[in-house]
Parts: sequence; C-alpha cells; structure tokens
Amino acid sequence: MKKSLFRLTDMLELSIVYIFCFSLNLLMEYAKTLDLDAYILKAFLKNFIDYQPLIVSLFTFIVIVFHYQMLERKKAEIFCRILVGGTAFGITIRYVLDCLTVLISVYLLSALVNFRFGFNLADNFYLILIFVTYILISAGRVRKYENI
Amino acid sequence: MKIFKFMVSKIFLRKAILGIGIMLLLLMANYITFTAARSVLSTFQGYQETKYVNQEGVYIANLDPDSHIDMSIVDENGTQAVYDYLNSNFKYAFYTDGFMVSVPNSDDMEISLGYLNEQYYKLNEFELSQGTDLDFDYQLDGEIPVLIGKGLSKTYPVGATIEMEESVLGRPLTLKVQGVLKQNAYHSNYYALNSKTYYNFSIIFPVNEKFIDRASMDIQFNGLMDIILLDTSEEEIASLREVIKDNLGLSFNFFSQKENYDYFNEYYLHSLKIIFITTFILLIVITCLSVWNASVSVRLMLKDFTINLLVGLSCSKLKKIFYGYFGMLSFVNVALISIFTAFNRYGCWLRKDAAFATYGLFGLIGMDWLALLLVAVSDMIIGIIIVENMLRKIKKVPISLGVLQ
Repeated sequence: MKKSLFRLTDMLELSIVYIFCFSLNLLMEYAKTLDLDAYILKAFLKNFIDYQPLIVSLFTFIVIVFHYQMLERKKAEIFCRILVGGTAFGITIRYVLDCLTVLISVYLLSALVNFRFGFNLADNFYLILIFVTYILISAGRVRKYENI
Repeated sequence: MKIFKFMVSKIFLRKAILGIGIMLLLLMANYITFTAARSVLSTFQGYQETKYVNQEGVYIANLDPDSHIDMSIVDENGTQAVYDYLNSNFKYAFYTDGFMVSVPNSDDMEISLGYLNEQYYKLNEFELSQGTDLDFDYQLDGEIPVLIGKGLSKTYPVGATIEMEESVLGRPLTLKVQGVLKQNAYHSNYYALNSKTYYNFSIIFPVNEKFIDRASMDIQFNGLMDIILLDTSEEEIASLREVIKDNLGLSFNFFSQKENYDYFNEYYLHSLKIIFITTFILLIVITCLSVWNASVSVRLMLKDFTINLLVGLSCSKLKKIFYGYFGMLSFVNVALISIFTAFNRYGCWLRKDAAFATYGLFGLIGMDWLALLLVAVSDMIIGIIIVENMLRKIKKVPISLGVLQ
C-alpha cells in the first residue's frame, strides 16, 4: 500500500463503481425471477430485462472513467516515482494488482449474494472479463507517463 | 458562440471519456424515465378509455378463473339461449376482436376484425377522420357498412366495397366503407390497461341481434367473455349468472362499479407506485454517479477553467457554457431515445404486426412525444444539479491556485 498509487479514497471509489455494476446485474437477475401478477409491472421490467447485457455493459463505462481520471491525476506521481528510482514496470504491476484485489473482493461479495439468492454464480462472471480488460488497457497507460 | 465552440473542442472534447461517461449515464436516466412515463401514460389512456365501465349499474363480465371450459357442453344452442335471455332482459355492450382475415391492402397487412354492437359504439365515441357514423340497422344480405382504420383507407376510401370470401356467417360478405377512424385509434385491454391494440389495420364491424343470431358460435362465445351489462342490478345479474351456468356450464363473475374501482386501486395504483418509486431511486443513483463524473471532470479540467477565468471569462458566461454543453449532450440522448423508439415502432411494420402498426411524426405517436417531453424535464433537473455542482466546485478553488494545478 505504501508504494501503491491508490489512496484509501481511490480504493473506496473503485469499490463503489464495481459494487454498482455487480448490483445492477444482480438486480436484473432478480427481476427475471419475479413471478409478477401485474401485467403493467411485467411490461415495465421487460423493457430492461430484454436489454440486460447492453444496459450493464454501458454502465461499466463508469469503471473506464475511474481508471482514466485516476491515472490522469497520478501522472505527476508516476513521473516522480520513476525519477526517484521506481520502474514503470513495477508501478504498472502494483497498479494491476491493486485493481485486481478490489475487483476480486467485490466479485466474492457479489458471488456470496448470488449464492444466497440461489442465482447462477456464472451470471456475474462476464463482468469480471470486462473489468479485467479495462484494467489491462489502463495499465498500458502507466508507461505513457514515464516522460511528462 | 465562439467561446462555446472553443471550450467544447479544446477542453471538453480533449477529455472525451468524461463526456461520454456523462452522456451514457444520462442516456440510462432518459431511458428509465421514458419507459416509466410511457407505462404511466399508457395506463392513464386505458383508464380514460374504459372509464365508462365505472358507472353505477354497469357490470362487466369475466369468466371465473376457476371455471373450467368444457367445450363438449358449450354448443350453439346454449350460447343462443344466453343471447336470447340477454336480448329480452338486458341492455348490453358487445365487443370482440382478434378475428384475422386476408383482405388485399397496399401494406400487405393481415386485417383484424372487431365486432361491436350499437351500445358499445355509443359508449366508446369512436372519432372519425372521414365518412359518417356506423349504421346498425342494415340488411344481412346487402352491403354491410363498416369503419376501417387509416392504413386501409388508401386502398378502400369512403364508399368503396370490400369483398370478404369467408365470414363468421359462413358465407361471403360485401362490406361498404362508411367511415375512416382517426389515425392510431386504439382499444385497451380491460385487465391490462397499458396494453393496446391499434385499429389502423382493422375493420370495425357493426353487429345487431340478427347478426349475432346467425353468427358462428366462436363470435358468440368470445363476445360473452367481455360483455358489458348496462343499467342493471345485482338481482338481474344473479339470474343471468344462473342462465349462463345452466346453458354453458360456466361460472361468470360480474364486476360492479365498486369492484372496478377497488381493482384499479389495488392492482394499478400499487403497480404504478412501484414503477414510480423504482424510477425515482434509479434516477437518484444515476444523478449521484453523474455528479461524481462531473466532479472528476472539474478535478481534471480545473486548470483550463481557471486559466479562462483569469483571462476574462466571467462565471455567468462559464455557467452558460456548461448549460449549453449539457443541453447538447441531453439533445443527443433524446434524439437517440427517439430513434430507438421509432425503430421499435417501425419493427411492427416490418413484422406485419397489424395490431401494433402506428402512424406518427418521425414514426412516434403522441404518447411517445409526451414521454419525451417528460424526459426533457428530467434532463433539465439533472442538468441543474450537475452544472450547479460543477460551478460550486470551481468557485471553491481560488483562481491563482487553480492555474498552478
């Protein structure tokens, strides 16, 4: 944590955006299982359930926003770390590991909720793949700040 | 305008990811508002259309869900006996639809036939764009006057005749177009007020006692399911229930005005409340995320904003630029929602789905435009929250400090 680019508020922010995306997916899964008598509610929910992957995927864009702003804010810090002997590779690895730690923690939490409600554990898994892709793409940007 | 262009191209678009982030969040907020608004508006339209059933002395028939239909008991004599009883003791509104026929038309749609009697016609006050009202006193062996939807009026103008090879009377019929319904005339389902079928590709067929007597059992039986009894009482309803039970072996419920109101309050108001609360919570969450996104934008663009403030840009001008930028994003989103909706509506034409094919400006019907108006209002509220929050954050930082960032 001492050498990490992440501060506690950053960790918290990242956790919140991950939790939001996983919760949204979970809510949609839950909505699918509801046995509603009211046609009006069924018709209303259908508008969202039919486009679940698209809606959840669009919402994951807030994770991109987080990575983008995080690295933009930290570019001076990355440069200074390299100046005092840090390596871009080391910083990148630590960044990826921190992001993965938060992601895995939130996923385990969501898996627990999935298990509690009896949903398929794989329902949330596609989000992991999306988020890992985002982490890898953003990690590639760390090297960009080697020279500013 | 020059400064607005400069700010958008040199500051906002330089960090396009943040702009796309706000736009997507706004798009979600718009979609949720639009969907909820359409559900509520559609239910309200349905309620307005079927308000006549909420009058004293009006009872609406409904097959008891626990009553099993045994088609071996149901026969033509049984249904005829029920109608004989109805004709001599009740004033009733008869309506049944969904009978599909192939009638040549320019859009190659399957045509739906809606059968109704004079009482139903009076209750519903059908609005016509051309022609005259239906005449129910016609001869079965002559031309039968009908109303048609707008979609058929191109092929069959007022006065034209439509030849039907097959009919519920078991013989060919000649229909004469008496009038054309206004575009997007609709019929709401009594038990799902937000669900509608549109009459654009329908033929509204007047039925009288003679017609029902000679019609096939299908139409008689289907007509009974939603029959509306007017100016009657509990005692008369009880005897009708007995007649139906004796002749068809079916248990019918007849809902009174009070029961209809209770049903509406319990079923619809409760559902509408859930939709309203869900929408409200989702909008709050999305607004919070948008505010977070806007704060991030301020954090990253603070230097650019403060430099511009230093060189003479006033706060009020900056405010206008922010509102202009947000208005632009909002406009793009509303346009996207409109295109998506128009595409969905156009899908009904491609699928030749006559019951849902509608006409409207840019493919959108009145209800869609009203929902889009509500979307614009919600955008304005979210916009004010975001922009004021951004300005508050910028004003909090002294210009000298911001420039040094």
